[in-house]
This record gives sequence, structure tokens and C-alpha cells, in this order.
Amino acid sequence: MSEVKWQASGLRVHQASDVTRDHLQLEADVVIVGSGAGGAVSAYELAKRGMKVLVLEAGPYVPSKDFTENFTDSLDTLYQDHGSQSNSDGDLLVLQGACVGGSTVVNGCVCFRTPDFILQDWQRDFGLNELTVDELAPYFDEVEKNLAVHDNGEHEIPRHGRLIRAGANRLGWSVKPLKRNIRQCGLTGHCLSGCKTERKQSMLVTYLPWAAAHGAQIYADTRVEKILTREGKASGVEAIITRHDGTVAATLSVSAPRVILAAGAVQTPLLLLKSGLANRSGQVGRNFACHPSLYVPARYPEPVYPWRGAMLGVYVDEFMHPDKGGFVLEDGGAGLVELTMAAEPGTGKPFMDYMANAKYLAGLVTLIHDHNVGSIEWDGERKKINYQLSDIDFPSMQRALKAAARLHLAAGASEVYVPASDQRVIRSEADIDSQVDSLENQPQHLRMVSYHPQGTCRMGADPDHSVVAANGQSHDVPGLYVADASLLPTSIIVNPQITVYALATRIARHMG
Amino acid sequence: MKSQLQARRVSAIWQQGMARRRFLKWGLLGSAGVAAVAAGGFAFLRRSPLDKQAAPAWAQGLSEAEYHLFNRARQVLLPVDGTTLLPSEQVPVVQNVQTLLGHLHPLTRKEVAAGLGLFDNAAVFTLGSRFVDLNDDDARAYFDSWGQGNVIQRTLATVIKQLVYSAYWQDSATWPPTEFDGPVSDKWGLEYLGNAPLPDSVADGEARA
Repeated sequence: MSEVKWQASGLRVHQASDVTRDHLQLEADVVIVGSGAGGAVSAYELAKRGMKVLVLEAGPYVPSKDFTENFTDSLDTLYQDHGSQSNSDGDLLVLQGACVGGSTVVNGCVCFRTPDFILQDWQRDFGLNELTVDELAPYFDEVEKNLAVHDNGEHEIPRHGRLIRAGANRLGWSVKPLKRNIRQCGLTGHCLSGCKTERKQSMLVTYLPWAAAHGAQIYADTRVEKILTREGKASGVEAIITRHDGTVAATLSVSAPRVILAAGAVQTPLLLLKSGLANRSGQVGRNFACHPSLYVPARYPEPVYPWRGAMLGVYVDEFMHPDKGGFVLEDGGAGLVELTMAAEPGTGKPFMDYMANAKYLAGLVTLIHDHNVGSIEWDGERKKINYQLSDIDFPSMQRALKAAARLHLAAGASEVYVPASDQRVIRSEADIDSQVDSLENQPQHLRMVSYHPQGTCRMGADPDHSVVAANGQSHDVPGLYVADASLLPTSIIVNPQITVYALATRIARHMG
Repeated sequence: MKSQLQARRVSAIWQQGMARRRFLKWGLLGSAGVAAVAAGGFAFLRRSPLDKQAAPAWAQGLSEAEYHLFNRARQVLLPVDGTTLLPSEQVPVVQNVQTLLGHLHPLTRKEVAAGLGLFDNAAVFTLGSRFVDLNDDDARAYFDSWGQGNVIQRTLATVIKQLVYSAYWQDSATWPPTEFDGPVSDKWGLEYLGNAPLPDSVADGEARA
């Protein structure tokens, strides 16, 4: 066992600017593609066991001190495709981190365990009999402890959260403080731009430095282009190291008997498709789900300052079970740029009045249990995210939208803005049905955002209908693993980071 | 009825443009919540006095028509009369739009260009002049009608609005009238907490060399 060298701040990362040769040839016991939730946890678990671990991250290394707390800057520097990744119809923004630490750097810190009824679905429909509540509980316990997951204290519930909680109480709806992975929250409201003072327990300040302490080597700016096999088994990867100006600094080959894909539910299937691997089932890239969410802003009579305080405070779980609606409502903070994306209060003066009075706005985030109807494709030139809200799920979205409007009104809002392409404002209960029922499930009618892509390399017991087994290993290619949200065979309704941490821990512990 | 007719007409123009150029795909994209359509470009259906005005030297990432379109969109989408908001001419809105468009995949950028050309020119059929030459009220009504139109129209209206809105509100000079705090950690002097300590199992001495 080598010496453990934990460092108090920062991270040792190989970057394109460090490269001095045209080609690098490396060897490892395991090479991990991606440094987000699945990759970082896998790296720590395996490095702790004494394995030689390489982590390859396509995005840049951006130290916390360089975070600007400016959302537009952050989209450019920390997000996939500079924040412009969307579905083929362009009405669903798919926001994923693309930096060392991945989406854990830019998420809202919300932590849920996989709901019991979801695990039951997985057991019944996908033969994942091992993934019981009891089996996963120790993994959840461990990652929650490691990441300082806790119920929001009263001081962590911002003004918009208190309004929403009061509204839910008036309606008799179940409302609870959210759990978050954060230490001594600075209450800046800038979670989506990265936590500058390292309070969010993202992979950047937890599992990655822990993995590095155990000898894991982390490469940023390094995009894996191909997975290599030898005699049918995983044998390594080929990658390109790219400077920030887009020029190629070097090529990289890694020889390793274990390859773990943890690049997220968009990039992981793309890599498999480009490599022509692990797709006997034909399911690679299929079954994309994403919790399409709406941000529903409303105007209140008193200032709310939606950008102040913790970004997320409470949630309404009254409708979480599919039998009760299959959606969750979370109060959500927002800055000015985010607010411009949310609503269509009218063109010109109505919009500028809406923005001039932004301090009076509070928002609700809707998350629905969508079906796995989408797909990820590579057309030879660029990726395609084929996803349109299905007709099966559209009523759920409408129910969630109506509940959000009802909740805002109960909380005292005077106007609720429907996030649609045309002007829709709800001012009373009587407006709700007419404004929501007349929405059509057509491209570009709703303004949707997804932070939770999942499902594109689903787990299952049957090799003909799934990509990997419950231990994360490909049914087809020994030594090739998936350890990110691609695994999830159905959408899980709630924020998936804790599920990915727990599954990645379990996969690493079961790895030979 | 009029809007339905207009929507059908826009679709027809679009299909003609697609066929003429043999562009078989029509994709849509998002940039800060925005979208656009298939590749190619549209010849002007009517000349505008603005066509004779050169775009500024910095606008290398925009065609001259795109520059004029976004500059006109800035004027009609961001009125500040009667408010304390910063006039949009004091904000580099079109420059910021140019930067946002510069992040797009080259193929997607071509699609956006085609869509912008369509938006500008299709106004000729219903309002008798290109979008860039409409008066403020007509230009806003044009946005509203496209927001209720077919998918191509909704897409383009959303694209242009979102680009212009983001380009204006991302500038910190626009924030004070709204009391938006912007970045606060440095202002508040928040301490950096650094990396989390190793988990207990290791910190307690597991397998240290």
C-alpha cells in the first residue's frame, strides 16, 4: 500500500498545458472515463484498494477559486457545449457539467435516496433482484456520511422556500426540508455556477482529492475517443488531449484491463456507439429519460429576492408516488439570466417590467417521472439527443404545472407565469385549468430544462434487453463497466446524484 | 385565421428553401434555452435601407444581416422607458449575442443563420417589409404572432428572444436597478474551506503506509 498524501486544498491534475510530447502511452489497472459522480467515487474506491487508477476527463480543470458566480460565464466554462446542449427539437436544455468533477460541481446539492418503489420496479421489470432497499442502505449511509448530507436547517431555507412551505401547509400538502451535501453553506445562491468557497461537497473537493491521495492520476482536457478490446475483453482506451483553444496537444493511449465509463448518460453511450461495443442488446443509447423540469416563477406582493439564500430549501412530496401523480415540486432560487429563460410574460414592456420586478419573484421546479422514450445518437458529425416529452408523460407535466400554480397562489402569489412559448399568466384558481389544459404537447411549446439525463446503458439481468448487469459490467465485454446515471433502467423522479454515488461504490466494491 | 395562414406560408417557404438547397435535415438547437432550424440561407425578399449600412468591425462572427436583425431585436425587446433599467444601447448586447453564437457547432451555426434569415424575410408576406424595417409595435406583434405559430416560428421567436435577453442581463451594469447581488463570496469575505478530510475509515488509520 503506497503512502496516502491528502492535500488540504486544490487538486493535482494533468492538463493540456502540461503536455510536452505528441503522444503519451500509459498503463493502469483501471482507466475511468469521466470525473463526475460515478467516476470520482470509482476512482477513490479502487485507488484505496491499491489499484493504479487513471481518471480521464474531457472537460477542463477549473479550481474553485476561479469560479466567478456569474451564470453566463459558468455556462461557458463549466458546462457541456458551453451550456447549449439540447435535444433535437431545441426545447429541452440538457445541462451537464463538463469539467473536473462533472455535474457535481454545478448541481444544486439536492440529495435523495432512490425511492423504494423505484427499486421495486427495477426488481420486477429488470431482474435486478440484488438491488433491494436493505442491500443499498449501507452504501447510501456511507456516501451520505462522506458528503455531509443533512436536512436543511432553518437558516438554509431561503425566503422563497419559506413561502412555498407556508403555501403547502395551507393546502395540507406534505412539505419537507431538502437534504443537501454541503458544509457550512455560504447561502450565496450560486450553486449552479460552482461553489467558490468549497462548501458544496462536490467531487472536486471530496472523492477526487481522496482518490488522488491514494495515488489516482487525473487528466483533464482529455477526451476518450475509443474503447479498446483484446480477445473480446476491455484493454484500454484511446484519447485526445485538447488545449483550451481547441488545438490538439497530444494523443493518449492507455492500456488497462478494466475500463469504467462514467461520462454521463449522453457521452457514455456515444462512446460505446463510436467504439461499436457492448450493444448486443441494441439498447446502448436508447431508453433516455431526463426528468424534464419546468421552472415556474410567480410574483409575490413583497420582495423575495430569489437569488438570495440557499438555492433550494424545501420540497413537496405529496405527489411523488406514481399513483399520486409521479412528480415532485422543489422551491428554486434563480438569478437574472435564469429568470429570463423561465417565462414569457409578453414582448417588450411586459417582459422588462417582469425583469425590473425580479426581486418579487419566487420559483418552483417541477420534476416528473418520465418514461424512457428518448435516445442518444451519433450521426457521424455530431451527437443527437432525441427526446420529446411523450404523450404518456404530458399529463404528468400538466398536473405538476397545475400543482405548482396552486401552490404559488396558496403561498400568496399574485401572478404565476406558465413557462411556455406564448404568454400565459395565472392570477387565480379559476385560471389554472384553462391556461394549462390548452397547452399542447408540441415541440417548443414548453420551456423545459433537464439536469438529470439517465437510462442510456441500462442495467438488467437479461443480456438481450440490457447493456450491463447489476454489478455494472457489460454483458458483452468483460472488464468494461458503466458507473454513471446511464445505468438507471427507469427514471427515478428525484435528483439522482446519491443514487449514482451509491451504485458506483457498490460496483467498485464488487469489481475483481 | 390570419395567423394560421401565415404559419402555413412560413412552412411552405421553409420547405421550398430546404428543397432548393437539398438540406434534408432540420435540427433545432439550444443555447441558453434557445433553438433554430435547418441549414442554408435565404436571399432577401425585399431590400432594406439597413442593407447599405455596414456592420461594426467587431461583428466578424455575424453576417451584416444578422447584425442588423439583432440590433433591431435589441431595440424592440428591451425597452426601458418609465423604468430605472439601463438603456440597451449602453450594453454590448449584439456583441454578447455574437459570443453566444460562437459557441455553437459549425453545422448548428449554419442552421441558425438560415433561421434568422427566415425570420427577417417572412415579415414581408404579412407586414410588407422585413423585420428589421418594422416599427416597434409591429415588430413586437410579429414576435408575439410567431410565439403562437408553428414549431418553426415558435423556435425562432424563442431563439432570438433568449439570445437577446441573455446578452443584456448577463452584463453586470444591468443588475443594480433590480437589486440583484451578483457575485457575493468575495464581497462577503467567505472563507475557503478547502478539501473535505478523508473519510473516517482512512483518517482513523486504515492502511496508511
